[in-house]
Amino acid sequence: MIGVLLVARTHLFTAFRERITLFWVLIFPIFIFTILTLIFGRIGQEGEINFSVGLVNLDAEATATWEFDTMIEGLFAELGASQIEGKEPLFTLSQPENGEDAKAFITREQEALARGMRTAVIVIPEGFGRRIEQSFTPAGFSAESSSSTTEAPQGALSIYYSEGNPSSEMAAGIIEQILVGVDREILTRAGRFDEEAAVPTETVWVGDVAEIRYVDFLLPGVILMAFFTSGLFGVPGAILFSRDQKILRRYWVTPLSVPRYLTGLSIGHIVLGLIQSVLLILLGKYGFGASVSFVAIQPVAFLLLAQITFMAFGFLIASVARTANSGMAIANVLNMPMMFLSGLFFPVTGLPLFLKAIVYANPVSYLAEGVRTSLGVEAGVFSTPLVVGVPLAWIALSIGVASRKLRWDVER
Amino acid sequence: MNAFRALLGAELRVFVRDRTTLFFTFLFPLIFILIFGFIMGGTGEEEQASLGVFIAFDADATALEAVLAETGLETITHYKTPEALEQAVAKRRVDFGLVWDGARLQFIYDPSRVQENYAFEQIAQGMSADFNLRHQGLSPILDVTMIHVGTEAATDWFNVMVPGIIAFSILSAGLFAVSGHITAMKERKILDRMVVTPMPPLALLSAVIAVRLAIVYVSTLITLFVGIAVFGLKFSIDWLHFTVLVACATLGMMGFGTLIAMVVRRPSSASNIASALSMVMMFLSGIYFPIEFMPGFLRAISKALPLTYMAEAMRFATGITDMSVVRFWAITLALAGIALVLLPFLARYVVSADRR
Repeated sequence: MIGVLLVARTHLFTAFRERITLFWVLIFPIFIFTILTLIFGRIGQEGEINFSVGLVNLDAEATATWEFDTMIEGLFAELGASQIEGKEPLFTLSQPENGEDAKAFITREQEALARGMRTAVIVIPEGFGRRIEQSFTPAGFSAESSSSTTEAPQGALSIYYSEGNPSSEMAAGIIEQILVGVDREILTRAGRFDEEAAVPTETVWVGDVAEIRYVDFLLPGVILMAFFTSGLFGVPGAILFSRDQKILRRYWVTPLSVPRYLTGLSIGHIVLGLIQSVLLILLGKYGFGASVSFVAIQPVAFLLLAQITFMAFGFLIASVARTANSGMAIANVLNMPMMFLSGLFFPVTGLPLFLKAIVYANPVSYLAEGVRTSLGVEAGVFSTPLVVGVPLAWIALSIGVASRKLRWDVER
Repeated sequence: MNAFRALLGAELRVFVRDRTTLFFTFLFPLIFILIFGFIMGGTGEEEQASLGVFIAFDADATALEAVLAETGLETITHYKTPEALEQAVAKRRVDFGLVWDGARLQFIYDPSRVQENYAFEQIAQGMSADFNLRHQGLSPILDVTMIHVGTEAATDWFNVMVPGIIAFSILSAGLFAVSGHITAMKERKILDRMVVTPMPPLALLSAVIAVRLAIVYVSTLITLFVGIAVFGLKFSIDWLHFTVLVACATLGMMGFGTLIAMVVRRPSSASNIASALSMVMMFLSGIYFPIEFMPGFLRAISKALPLTYMAEAMRFATGITDMSVVRFWAITLALAGIALVLLPFLARYVVSADRR
């Protein structure tokens, strides 16, 4: 028993003593978790995101009823000031300075947009207010709104943006929504739109789950990623490097047998997984306010199943690799496709058949769904027998191959 | 000259025989664009979102039909019951759902699509606003025209991403050429043996550099070709800019590789540090996620990373995004400058005897 525990301790200590292993098993998952939460957890939250927007008002004519142009200009200026103390405003507005030629300003702003220095440019055209007034006469109603053309119709408000650039698309989308609100406001004030008769809009989430925060969705995925990389690299690394450096050969002359060595390695590896998950959960909870609770039988059981599956997968790689270096190469080849074609970080949809096949054969897909459904952060696509069965099949296959092919000493 | 030719041949053979390096240089970028090409193919493109609709048979559908026709969504599927629609959303057969029962609009989302729901909700908001006006027989007062500024190629985020992936593969090829290949030669005492032959160290260095430059160039061309052939991506490549950038970036990254090799004492750790560093840079340099989405301090870090500028210059050289020519040459020459300053140290590293 002491021998077994010593092997477990050695496996664990190696992981923490080797700085590069420490990086991959602990620091990298923490890094990915932090980056993704900071980027995707904030999408759509005011005070967390800032868009640089150009605004120019070319409408100098005074209109009879309201100054529509100054109303819109004022609204965006308001959004350009910080709404929440200490936070960035939604927009950082850039407007022509006193006396600057408006046309030259637009050209400059468009160039800045094309170069990624602006996310959008709003142009209130000449005759804008007059056109709105005209449209109050029944004949003047126009049905073409938000049409995507290369040239704006006379008097139409233009939003210049850069399609394909996610932040520009998002900024343009937000500006569009603001303008829809303005539109409704004008119609209501003119007594045309009846707020009372407006049709209510409801949001429904499928499954028994409510809206999920990104951090709660991501946390189980990152824990699995940490398990996956340490199983994929750590297990074959531990076995193959010890074998190639003839450390294992020295073990075999002691009373330590292969089964006892394996038991020790497995215990060490499971404890490593425990440390990884505790650290990540603590970071999620206290660093990013994650609210999922892992303290229940099902999620813990799934995490354990995941750790065992990836460990077995490591044995499989160790059995097919001839040297430690080729083992690491195989792990490297498998790492990215298995990680990204599994829904670990985001659900994968709309893939062609050959990539779908990888998703379906990939144990990570099932384990990710299993952990998430048990935590209540996903409704789930696969049936429960599959979610448990496919990882078990991988364990059986891996152990089967390993028991026949894994060599415990260097070839003589 | 003979020594150089012999070394050139040897370097090439070493490269072709080393399957791991071969994989990382040629296949890795391809796997990346294959996976991301298909995964990212649909996300973020509003027109490509699919909507499932259920309209109660006694509800007036005229206004809604008009709204649906206006959305520009490519796939709109009608379902016979609200349950069937919910099931379709849950099984991800459609991206989101809409139920109209005559009294209220109900939008149905899959909560686990955390990254995409924001875009679906935006579409839904637009639809609901449009529907409300039409329902009361009104049209929008404000005429809003959305105008795309930039090249046509830039309208597809994936098309924007591929030059970034190419920049990343140059970064890793350059770093590993030194912190991996040369450090391994040092560790296995191959360099020590070469130094005692009449071969000038410069010949070895030139051979390593020449082989890497050629390989990196070919690998970037393959990546571009696959992008165009498989995903129909559009590039308008300025070959002068592209070629000079690839060369300067490769050399510059070899310079950084030298820096790592000099700072890290154990040669084998150098490649580990290089791979850890390149991973961190990959996520922070705006290749996969726009820099604007990051909080201020990460944006600042991003601006300090060479990969951010390499990706930016590569997007310009492949005709995706605009940039002033002065800025492009400033970036390219800065990369060349890094090589000029740091590569002489590599020459010293090669000839210095291993003191262990």
